[in-house]
Amino acid sequence: MAVRLGLTVLLMFGVTIVTFVLTNLVPADPVQAALGEQAAANPEIVAKFRAENGLDQPLVVQYFTYLGNVLQGNLGVSTQTRMPVADELAAAFPATIELALSAIVFSAIIGIGLGLWAALKRRTFVDQIIRVVSLIGLSWPTFWLALVVYYVFFFVLGIFPGSGRLDPTAIAPPHVTGLYTIDSIVAGQWGTFWDALYHLVLPASVLALYTIGLLTRFARSAVLEVLDMDYVKAATAKGLPRRTVVFGYVLRGAMVPIITVLGLAFGSLLSGTVLVEKVYSWHGLGEYSFSAATKLDLPAIMGVGLVVGIVYIGLNFLVDVLYGVIDPRVRVS
Amino acid sequence: MKHSMKRVFAATGLVAAAALVLSGCAGGAKPDTGEAAGGGKSIVVDASFDLKTADPGRQYETTGSIVAKALYETLLTFNGEDVTEPVDGLASYEMNEDNTVLTLTMKPGAKFSDGSDVTVDDAVFSLTRVQGILGNPSFLLEGVKVEKTGDDTLTLTSETPNPALPFILPNPALSVVNQEVVEANGGSADESDDAEAFLNGQSAGSGPYMLESFDAAAQVVFKANPEYTGDKPAYDRVVLRNVEGPTQKLNVEKGESQVALDLNPDQVAELASADVKVVSNPSRYMIFLLLNQNPEISEITSNPDFLQAVKLGLDYDKIVSLAGEGSVRPGGPIPSLFVGAIDAKQGNQRDVDAAKAALKKSGYAGEKVTLNFPNDITVQGLSLQNVAEAVQAQLSEVGIEVALAPAPVATELDAYRNGTETIGLWYWGPDFPDASNYTVFSPGELVGLRSGWAADANPKVTELSNAAKAATGEDRAPAYEAWQDELNASGPFVPLLQPAQNVVTSPSIESITTNPVWTVDLALIK
Repeated sequence: MAVRLGLTVLLMFGVTIVTFVLTNLVPADPVQAALGEQAAANPEIVAKFRAENGLDQPLVVQYFTYLGNVLQGNLGVSTQTRMPVADELAAAFPATIELALSAIVFSAIIGIGLGLWAALKRRTFVDQIIRVVSLIGLSWPTFWLALVVYYVFFFVLGIFPGSGRLDPTAIAPPHVTGLYTIDSIVAGQWGTFWDALYHLVLPASVLALYTIGLLTRFARSAVLEVLDMDYVKAATAKGLPRRTVVFGYVLRGAMVPIITVLGLAFGSLLSGTVLVEKVYSWHGLGEYSFSAATKLDLPAIMGVGLVVGIVYIGLNFLVDVLYGVIDPRVRVS
Repeated sequence: MKHSMKRVFAATGLVAAAALVLSGCAGGAKPDTGEAAGGGKSIVVDASFDLKTADPGRQYETTGSIVAKALYETLLTFNGEDVTEPVDGLASYEMNEDNTVLTLTMKPGAKFSDGSDVTVDDAVFSLTRVQGILGNPSFLLEGVKVEKTGDDTLTLTSETPNPALPFILPNPALSVVNQEVVEANGGSADESDDAEAFLNGQSAGSGPYMLESFDAAAQVVFKANPEYTGDKPAYDRVVLRNVEGPTQKLNVEKGESQVALDLNPDQVAELASADVKVVSNPSRYMIFLLLNQNPEISEITSNPDFLQAVKLGLDYDKIVSLAGEGSVRPGGPIPSLFVGAIDAKQGNQRDVDAAKAALKKSGYAGEKVTLNFPNDITVQGLSLQNVAEAVQAQLSEVGIEVALAPAPVATELDAYRNGTETIGLWYWGPDFPDASNYTVFSPGELVGLRSGWAADANPKVTELSNAAKAATGEDRAPAYEAWQDELNASGPFVPLLQPAQNVVTSPSIESITTNPVWTVDLALIK
């Protein structure tokens, strides 16, 4: 555990170096991007901006200042909004977490279920259908799909609401976690809870479709592999009920590779929701990172890089722990 | 097989039922709303945000101006869409004969949202704060001395004649804030000012609205200011949301929002049969080409005959038609909305034969010249990529080979502002609606230098520019017209078009008033 913790700290240190170096390698001047036409032509304003943002210091000094600040939980101040990046991330991150969690839960239930079903019905019509559907799920361009789904279910059918996380006239629930569904329950605002849940359905479904396709294919092949194992055959031969064999032996045995994919999929959902967030005006981490990149907001870009890095490291750790829970042999080794 | 199909149908039915139950539950449940709490009519306005702050003295972006205009008042203003004549705001004004001293007399009666009177001290503090905090809009009052000269008067004194000053003052960046409240929350009139965070939480103005909530990424909510002494706005609550163009279109068609501010020409064209109202007017933005005159950057584009060939080779009407209804072609750099603008007929016209002749004279041998432009931004929804492609195709017809070099704006800005682009495709949004704002296109000036046009590069244009700056009264318009005529003849800039500003509203909206300075006045939506 101590080794793992040490590795995690080293990885985090590496993430700060990589994000800092990559961000500062961009061949553009953040001052030009942040200041207006006339302000950028005024040496006094430019000098003030450079000094305020530490851009007048050598890069090495900038890095150690940045590292020192990060260790104190200070991710710097956005050059665009002049607000603390940590505060802005704290506002954007829960929105994406809520979306990604909904998508991953939905994907896990449907994807693993379909993969298992397809494997158990190997080479039947059902298997073929599921494989085709999962391939289609993987093949849609997300931005296009997001627009089509929005058009059909909001505009034409009118059964789901428009953009945003809540109705425009609604007041967000008091901040506890930043996840509107959870916070509205905590506050006892049931109307807001249903409204938040209702707004989640379309973007979460669009995001889930790709992950469902991915999980279905992985789950199918993982289950097929386990089905050929001797212990499964032995369990069947012993006359154990099919349900026990499937859920107690087959699925459990197939879960290790599935968990790996699930972890990776969740990570990519968190860092890659930008297109869906844009269509659904979700204003989460994806949109924040896009805006930071296009406006060359260096502290914000580094903040996003750091958060995504932490998430991936955390997920890897979680996946490793889950391996041990599912398969004790992994824990022993 | 039969058994399997049954399960497929059962699973599909279950998912459909779950969706219906969910939509039914949510449809029946009403969220806790501000409307319910505050009462009164409310509207939703969709915009594509470039918002940074609700501090009027620090904002200098399109969305920031919409927000500041709703929350604050300025000393002078414009009447509706007309920006050709400043009118009284919180004060009346009088300019001295040599255009160096502007005297403003505060009008009695205006009140801040906390009920206190708007005083001359508040006005002086607000203007000196904008100067002192060195933000993006600080240049608006550069070289201007702001002084209180009486119980209800202040003067703005310029070192050199500044006839544009009454046109600058309506800018929402120069809004009057409540000095006592702002100072109590860290505000000052110098670089130590720390009131921005406070002003992002609540407003301190005398405008038609107050800030209910502010989220620079997502939405700004306004509620009516009960102390506002002007005409009461038709809507008590306005939600200004950050929504992408394609989603804005669906929202306004569906009635989810009542106003959409950022639809591009294609989206507007698709709305022809929809039950919405479209207002298309020429925008304040002028899209232009610059050809670098510095031989070290390009021997080709700095050749006067090559420059002439480009000017004669472009089909201006076709480029304008790309931008859809409401777009127009300005005759020179000054947009058609402002005093001093010239007619498109006075601008360069296409003449393919003359272009080919000029090109031959220039000695151009078919080398590729690079056209740089930002490809991740739009101007009023119009992609510069479309304009660049049209320019490339049209110049190819006269024998000029153009290589397109699109890049993200954050990186391309460096090359543009440092004057290292060979040919650049950019736009200029006016800082204030006065012709003097465009003299930056003269040799040695801000934009002139970006095209490698040094101060002594063209004495005739410089002379006409200086004459225009010094002109007063009725002499101003002809002076600026003469300057633009010469710029068209010998300058390195090729003004192409003013894209349309499209505002789409749902049928419930009776009228909406656009303005080139603050885009739209939320309080005037009826």
